[in-house]
Amino acid sequence: MREAGTNGKAVGCTSRRQVLGAAAGLAVATIVPRHVLGGAGHVPPSEKLNIAGIGIGGRGQGDLDEVGSENIVALCDVDEHYAGDVFAKYPKARKWTDYRKMLDEQKDIDAVVIATPDHTHAVITMAALKRGKHVYCEKPLTHSVWEARQITLAAREAGVATQLGNQGQASEGNRLVSEFIWDGAIGPVREVHAWCNRYISPRGIGRPQETPPVPGTLNWDLWLGPAKHRPYHSCYLPFSWRGWWDFGTGVLGDIGCHQLDPVFRALKLGYPTTIEASSSGVNDETAPLTSIVRFQFPAREGMPPLTLTWYDGGLMPERPPELEEGRRFGNADDNLFVGDKGKMLGHRLIPETKMKAYEVPAKTIPRSPGHHKEWLIACKGGPPARSNFDWAGPLTEIVLMGNVALRMEKQLYEKGLKLHCDGPNMRITNLPEANKYIRDEYRDGWTL
Amino acid sequence: MGAAAAIGAFTVVPRHVLGGAGNTPPSEKINIASIGAGGQAASDLRQMESENIVALCDVDWARASGMFRRHPDARKYRDYREMLDKEDKNIDAVVVAIPDHMHAVASMAAIKRGKHVYCEKPLTHDVYEARVLAEAARKAGVATQMGNQGQASEQTRLMCETIWDGAIGQVHDVHVWTDRPLRGINDVYWPQGVGRPTEKPAVPDTMAWDLWLGTAPERPYHPSYAPFKWRGWWDFGTGALGDIGCHRIDPIFRALKLGHPTSVEGCCTLVNNETYPVASRVTYEFPARGNMAPVRLHWYDGGMKPPRPKELADGRTWSTNGILFEGDEGKMYETRLLPESRQTAYGKPPQMLERSPGHYVEWIQACKGGKPAGSNFPDHAGLLAQLVLLGNLSLQPALKEKVTRTRLLWDGDAMKITNMPEANQYLRREYRKGWTL
Repeated sequence: MREAGTNGKAVGCTSRRQVLGAAAGLAVATIVPRHVLGGAGHVPPSEKLNIAGIGIGGRGQGDLDEVGSENIVALCDVDEHYAGDVFAKYPKARKWTDYRKMLDEQKDIDAVVIATPDHTHAVITMAALKRGKHVYCEKPLTHSVWEARQITLAAREAGVATQLGNQGQASEGNRLVSEFIWDGAIGPVREVHAWCNRYISPRGIGRPQETPPVPGTLNWDLWLGPAKHRPYHSCYLPFSWRGWWDFGTGVLGDIGCHQLDPVFRALKLGYPTTIEASSSGVNDETAPLTSIVRFQFPAREGMPPLTLTWYDGGLMPERPPELEEGRRFGNADDNLFVGDKGKMLGHRLIPETKMKAYEVPAKTIPRSPGHHKEWLIACKGGPPARSNFDWAGPLTEIVLMGNVALRMEKQLYEKGLKLHCDGPNMRITNLPEANKYIRDEYRDGWTL
Repeated sequence: MGAAAAIGAFTVVPRHVLGGAGNTPPSEKINIASIGAGGQAASDLRQMESENIVALCDVDWARASGMFRRHPDARKYRDYREMLDKEDKNIDAVVVAIPDHMHAVASMAAIKRGKHVYCEKPLTHDVYEARVLAEAARKAGVATQMGNQGQASEQTRLMCETIWDGAIGQVHDVHVWTDRPLRGINDVYWPQGVGRPTEKPAVPDTMAWDLWLGTAPERPYHPSYAPFKWRGWWDFGTGALGDIGCHRIDPIFRALKLGHPTSVEGCCTLVNNETYPVASRVTYEFPARGNMAPVRLHWYDGGMKPPRPKELADGRTWSTNGILFEGDEGKMYETRLLPESRQTAYGKPPQMLERSPGHYVEWIQACKGGKPAGSNFPDHAGLLAQLVLLGNLSLQPALKEKVTRTRLLWDGDAMKITNMPEANQYLRREYRKGWTL
């Protein structure tokens, strides 16, 4: 059994890196390695980083709290009102509305924390990478498969410290899943069920017709960023952009990078071969209220082919007979691993008697000092954080490929097909029109 | 059923004891009264026009106007109770095609008078009603048929014969799914997952709202309920499972000789007390039956589907409404073995079942002394309806938290959920004052 490391070359990453290497020619961005730049360079562990927060009103606030031991030197948000409390909390930080201006004008920034809506992750991350800044970016890494690839390559070239905001990866449970499965606790795994009932209203609806005035505290044009122009409406923000395809990535995008992370690590998943989706109705505007997405993965590194079934909106797998009567099996969120020799719910064998009797294997995977801390350490010259973009990029690509299947549900149904994916080349091979969802068209004036 | 019979509080006089119409000889026509005359009732009645349509009843005369015009000699009613009183001597048989919450009371009223009954699916709104109605029909000895026309089809018979021929060995799992309440990818037949309207529009002049409500709790009229959309509301309809389950589970029920399940377990989108969820999945377990192995039945609605089987070739539709049997020696999608090459090699099973003269004809023949119709209440429809309604019970909003901790264990003979006593209250709802079964 190969050991997973915290060095970003975790098990499963090798093949991914090779795959990405092969595809590197696709990258259009030119990245100057960090050591070539005259920038901040590596900050020694004894010193503090100068951090800029971009998108600070919502999730960004929590992320900044986690890195608050460093110097928060700049804060950027397009929504003065939503970000007001955070601006007030860091009175010494310079305040910005436009991240481009901030990055151009404020020279003392070592690292950026990005927690904007999904559709702006890539452009902001890329701008920071091009300047040699370390980047912490919320999940999913990007809004489209293509962007995820570009960011992965750019981050590698820049050599900066990166981390995706899937903090669950730093948990004990995340490691136990891998250690148990690699120990053969449930035998070879052929099925995984992952479900999440996060409600990210609104979904399954069409675009509003009303055109209310833009609040004076909001820069709507910057909020839209690379997305196609549309009139402001309060149904998009804050937070509810997650359900709108132009901005968010649905529950799968929102939660998939969290919840599937332990699955991908333990089962060494790379690109899937096929994906199929069914839902309560997909339209071009919003993600469905509920969906089931099934990914087929080929045999990998001594592991048999595997079906990963994702459920959101309240659907979930059937109650496993191994589960004790009276034990909760709720639809909130969990992962069920089905092996030839047993099952595991989350990171516990079921039934509990089996868990209790199980001789837990040695803790071969190094434990995390903390998810944000990993990144801070990496920024100061330590080992790469565990969800650095070499890991996070491919994970995001695959999760977002699931959304492609969802958005093509009708066409796949009409043609009697599953979606066939060529992951390394970012192509859908059996339904050409699906490829339009691999890469977003940016609004004039925006490039990656 | 014996054990449950005691639950019924009604008294049914067997038909031969009544001085009523008795069995009509095949050479004569039966006199039919219809409860419900618009919507599905109209299409049912059009299949019965070889007989005399003598009375029509509908709480909404605008909806019924087409049938009223088509049968100008039929006497018109708003209240089926009045119709049955006044027409008792004139009618042999009754068609019940009204919202689900009224099926049981209307059918029972007819059975108590010794009338033959054709009732739309699902047979009833509650498990309890299905049980007592089936038992009443048995005692009365009348001809009954539920409105699941597919039962009369060639496909249903092919499905049974292929399974019984052992073409896929012992069946251990069956998947059955519908996109209802969806109509295609971006439309719905009726809404589910919505809340109660607060506006109180005027009741249309043509409609007797109180009669429409019937057994259901009082609430103001709203076009969100009638016509047709009542299907999505807990108080009136039975959701996608009730609507389509009796159609699509029927051939599975027959092919696998199912009876009562031993357990049921489900999940769904956000539940509310008003309407059924947007989508759900319900799983039933059945014990071994005769020489057939235990089997699990997986129901999906609202657009959810089971995995497309690898044996289904690219280019073949994985339908929005389908049935997949998984046996230990192969799979069957609807009536065809997978992959298609296997079906081609297999051809057709030996014929084991008689073909139907037609779903409606079956019932008319039964009314005239012929053999029981394929979906008669005592032998088939009562059990099938209980099965689908038990699925709805597993999605009851009030049980939402409790059912995360167990499957519901079902003692079909005793009509009891054995491991969650408080769930049993949902087997039978309370009727509004003035209504009894």
